[in-house]
Amino acid sequence: MTLLTLESVSVAYGSQTILKDLNLDVEKGQLLSLLGPSGCGKTTTLRLIAGFLEAKEGTFRFAGDDYTRKPVNKRNFGIVFQSYALFPHMSVFDNVAFGLRMRKTKETDVKSRVKRILEVVSLGGFETRFPKELSGGQRQRVAIARALVIEPDLLLFDEPLSNLDANLRSGMRVEIRRIQQELGITTLYVSHDQEECFSISDRVAVMNKGLIEQIDRPETIFKYPATEFVARFIGFHNFLNFTERAESEGVISLRAGEHLFTAVANPGTTRPGALKGAIRPDDLVVAAEDRSGPGVIGSLPGIVKVSTYLGRSYQYVVETALGNFTANQEMEKPFYSGQSVTLRFPPDKLVLVD
Amino acid sequence: MKKSVLYGLLLPGLLFLGIFMVIPIVLTIGSTFYHDGTLTLSGYTHFFGDSYFNQILLTTVVVSLITTLLCLALGFPTAYYISRKTARSKGILLAIAIFPLLTSPIVRSFSWMIILGRKGLINDAIVGLGLSDKPLDILYTPTAIVIGLTHLFLPIMIISLVGVLENIDTDLVIAAQSLGASRMSAFVRIVFPLALPGIVIGAVLVFVGSLTAYTTPALLGGKQRVISTFLYQNAMTLNDWFLASVIAVIMIAITFIVVGLMNRAARQLNPKG
Repeated sequence: MTLLTLESVSVAYGSQTILKDLNLDVEKGQLLSLLGPSGCGKTTTLRLIAGFLEAKEGTFRFAGDDYTRKPVNKRNFGIVFQSYALFPHMSVFDNVAFGLRMRKTKETDVKSRVKRILEVVSLGGFETRFPKELSGGQRQRVAIARALVIEPDLLLFDEPLSNLDANLRSGMRVEIRRIQQELGITTLYVSHDQEECFSISDRVAVMNKGLIEQIDRPETIFKYPATEFVARFIGFHNFLNFTERAESEGVISLRAGEHLFTAVANPGTTRPGALKGAIRPDDLVVAAEDRSGPGVIGSLPGIVKVSTYLGRSYQYVVETALGNFTANQEMEKPFYSGQSVTLRFPPDKLVLVD
Repeated sequence: MKKSVLYGLLLPGLLFLGIFMVIPIVLTIGSTFYHDGTLTLSGYTHFFGDSYFNQILLTTVVVSLITTLLCLALGFPTAYYISRKTARSKGILLAIAIFPLLTSPIVRSFSWMIILGRKGLINDAIVGLGLSDKPLDILYTPTAIVIGLTHLFLPIMIISLVGVLENIDTDLVIAAQSLGASRMSAFVRIVFPLALPGIVIGAVLVFVGSLTAYTTPALLGGKQRVISTFLYQNAMTLNDWFLASVIAVIMIAITFIVVGLMNRAARQLNPKG
């Protein structure tokens, strides 16, 4: 069931358009992330849904009602801020109780509900502490508890982990996913970190310049990015421009100049008419010079320009007739700079993007 | 740097304040308990026994309190607005707010005499609009003093408030609203308690400034004495240095009492402040 719908929403600050004609659906109980570089409009989208700013055009529907002009304090959404936004003059208990007291909940109920939610976020016994006296991870948990205790219809996270160090981040990520699934709360999660988004989301929307470039399951986006932007953003560093394509029996044949390639046609890669190929550095194979000559399908001769040791593998920048390519490869004896090599493009790893 | 060297840096300032402030104050306070060769409280019993003196004291405190409240009421919205602007426009707006401080209180008081007088702008307007058939007495009343002092001290209140308000994260206000608080409620529960340190500093500065102001009440108050003009009159015109010293000590005492009360109030409203 669709819980939340944005219909051709536009937002502008002054003359600058931030969101243009944005459409978005979120299913009940799902966790959807908005992923994109800074300035892509993901935070603006979140703030619009939260009610901190208003759409210039378009409609925001929630559970069948028009929420476009509904005031922030009437929405019953829980929001976790990047800065946590804990009230510094209140104890952990009072911070978490704030939303309940605003709802005029009986003080005995406030006590039991705050206690219960603090246990959910593993902060039992911290009631009398002040935000200043907590670590970053603990503040984060208080912020989550404060958003959860009001039993929100929607939970919004605005880059919640970006102020934590790497260790805490992966721990909190698991924690957020656990709490979200345990309570079954529909959640919108904003981040610029792809690993974070992919690991916790049911669906991910990749945004760029105020538009959603692709919205899909994390696995699908990871394997089959729809556009060059998405591909680049999630680590496809190599691109090929083809001049011709033909499709038969589940195989797409491609031509770039005198070089021929094939790609396996499956739902993710058959973007009709797309003439741009993308491949991850990890999937590109570097082989010693191939004596079979040019014209072998899916291979491209080149010269190693840069060889970098990455610990687990070596990274090569290879210059070819079709431009420079980056490839990572685990090997015992590395290629040296200036060596002639052949790049091989496995048909099941080469994807076509718009 | 070594600790002793750091303390050394304090020395010039301490020496100056010690010689020219602490010692004179101690001597002044001491002198009020010693009259006609005996230790006595007669200076204070005389002062507090005289209804004319008490009326001056009361007027001064009331005028100062009203001025403080007015500065707070006028300064808070302005300061809140300024605190929400970008650094660049904040600088410009603050400069404009502070600008009145650069003109002399004498010049400003004279302008108020022109505006508030019986043939001044305000009375011309009131009579012209038919709101009253004869001009109102504004100049040479406590009201005129309050207006003059508010004009004088508003910039100080604004600066004190901007200082704390700009450090209040806007996310706190919207977080409160997202949790169900109305704008008013978010202000009362979040902005106000967090702004208290600035409110207290601003209020203390304005109150003490109003309590000790001389030029403005002297020019706008007419026959209405406040404690500082009364002190001047006793010392310079009547040559009664004993009473003048008593008044000075009472002024110091009131200042300390008010600052103490405000601090205590602030602590109670905001235990972590």
